[in-house]
Amino acid sequence: MIEIKNLSKTYGKQKVVDDLSLTIPTGTIFGFLGPNGAGKTTAMKILVGINRPDTGQITIEGKDPSMASTREIIGFMPEEPGSYNQLTGLELIKFVNNLFNKNKQSSVDELENLLKKVGIYEARHKKIKNYSKGMKQRLGFAQALVNNPTYLFLDEPLEGLDPIGRREIKIILEELKKQGKTIFFNSHILADVENICDQIGIIHRGKLIYSGSVDGFREDKPLEEKFVEVIKSIS
Amino acid sequence: MNTLFVIAKNTFQQAIRDKILYGIILFAFLFIGSTIILSSLAIEENIFIIRTFGLAGIYVFGLIITIFLGASLIYEEVEKRTTYIMLAKPVTRTSLLIGKFLGLLSAVALTTLMMAIAYIAVIYSSGGGIDYPAIIAVGLQIMEMALLITILMLFSIFTTPLASTIYTIIILYIGHLLSLILEYASKTGGIAKTVLITIYYLAPNLEKFNIRNLVAHNIPLSWQEVTFSLGYALIYIAFIFYITRLVFNRKDL
Repeated sequence: MIEIKNLSKTYGKQKVVDDLSLTIPTGTIFGFLGPNGAGKTTAMKILVGINRPDTGQITIEGKDPSMASTREIIGFMPEEPGSYNQLTGLELIKFVNNLFNKNKQSSVDELENLLKKVGIYEARHKKIKNYSKGMKQRLGFAQALVNNPTYLFLDEPLEGLDPIGRREIKIILEELKKQGKTIFFNSHILADVENICDQIGIIHRGKLIYSGSVDGFREDKPLEEKFVEVIKSIS
Repeated sequence: MNTLFVIAKNTFQQAIRDKILYGIILFAFLFIGSTIILSSLAIEENIFIIRTFGLAGIYVFGLIITIFLGASLIYEEVEKRTTYIMLAKPVTRTSLLIGKFLGLLSAVALTTLMMAIAYIAVIYSSGGGIDYPAIIAVGLQIMEMALLITILMLFSIFTTPLASTIYTIIILYIGHLLSLILEYASKTGGIAKTVLITIYYLAPNLEKFNIRNLVAHNIPLSWQEVTFSLGYALIYIAFIFYITRLVFNRKDL
């Protein structure tokens, strides 16, 4: 279970995340939505232990993500994941894999299977600088899965992918859900959120304005229409 | 410990695959090789000329490589969001910094040693035998580069590669002119004297790593001085690294 209690973060004079509290049960796909600059990415970076909050508390399986050991069970894909351009796709995955404890590391065969799963196996020996945007996105997704994480945090995972790529990633997310993984993801593509999420949270100007089921929010309207309506009514 | 090694290896791999680095090394080899032609122009003391220009070449090209690779060391990691990938794994910010430092130092040391081997070959083929003191000079140069890497790392946390390069070159310049600064301070008074004395004590004394003139003139080296320089480098590196760690730990990524 992921528990967020009264989380706040300020950059300069701007409060980017304001008293955010959420509970995400184990085994759910949680979509974290909000307009640009709402605080989604900031919240996610705190959730995975990259940055520290000003106030508030986060626990993942009862443990603080700022502790390196907690991050053994986490997978994280940043928005537009950058990479080491001089490395090949397989080398990057091996590098990321080696950052984990021996008992969490995958074998080379498992890593190659992972690259097959995300559709870049054929390009595994190519340098990343020669990858397309979509291939980099797939590689970013693969690196988040190397340790077979229990909790997966994805920041705009479907951005930059063609319809086939989006479909493939969504299928993988469904598979992961069946395996009991908890998936927390930020997205702008509301149609995708509507299809795959059990629960959503909507954040606007750092404040959580809704948390619950997708159906409970949209009230028989398409999610996008309802989302725009709610955000406009607040703005 | 494993994480440090993994990050160091990755940094090393990235550095040595940079094509610009190969260009710099090629120029360095050409320069070191050309000292044979320079020495042939002298009537005597041709070994002295090869030593002077050869060691200066290793230093200048080593410096170019260090600044070229070091100025963007942390900056690029943050800009390209690769820090996100690493710090969301069981990696602490301190181990990230140490790993990056060790990886870059390995790349700088390897390229410097390659230049040193070329230099020794040139001296040997010119009848100067194996230049053992030059190996110590190159070793101290690597310590100076290690110190410069920590300074570059500190700057690259909060400023652009160009600004890091400029600041480091200023420190490098001051660091080699500290004796002049002290001399100038003794001739002035008031605030200027206080400022100059402060610079003298705070700036790294990079002349402690310069024994190239002694080697070129065949003057025997003092082991006490060499050991002192090594100790000085280690203490200064630890000091700068401590500040770098403090700054990096406070930085929101």
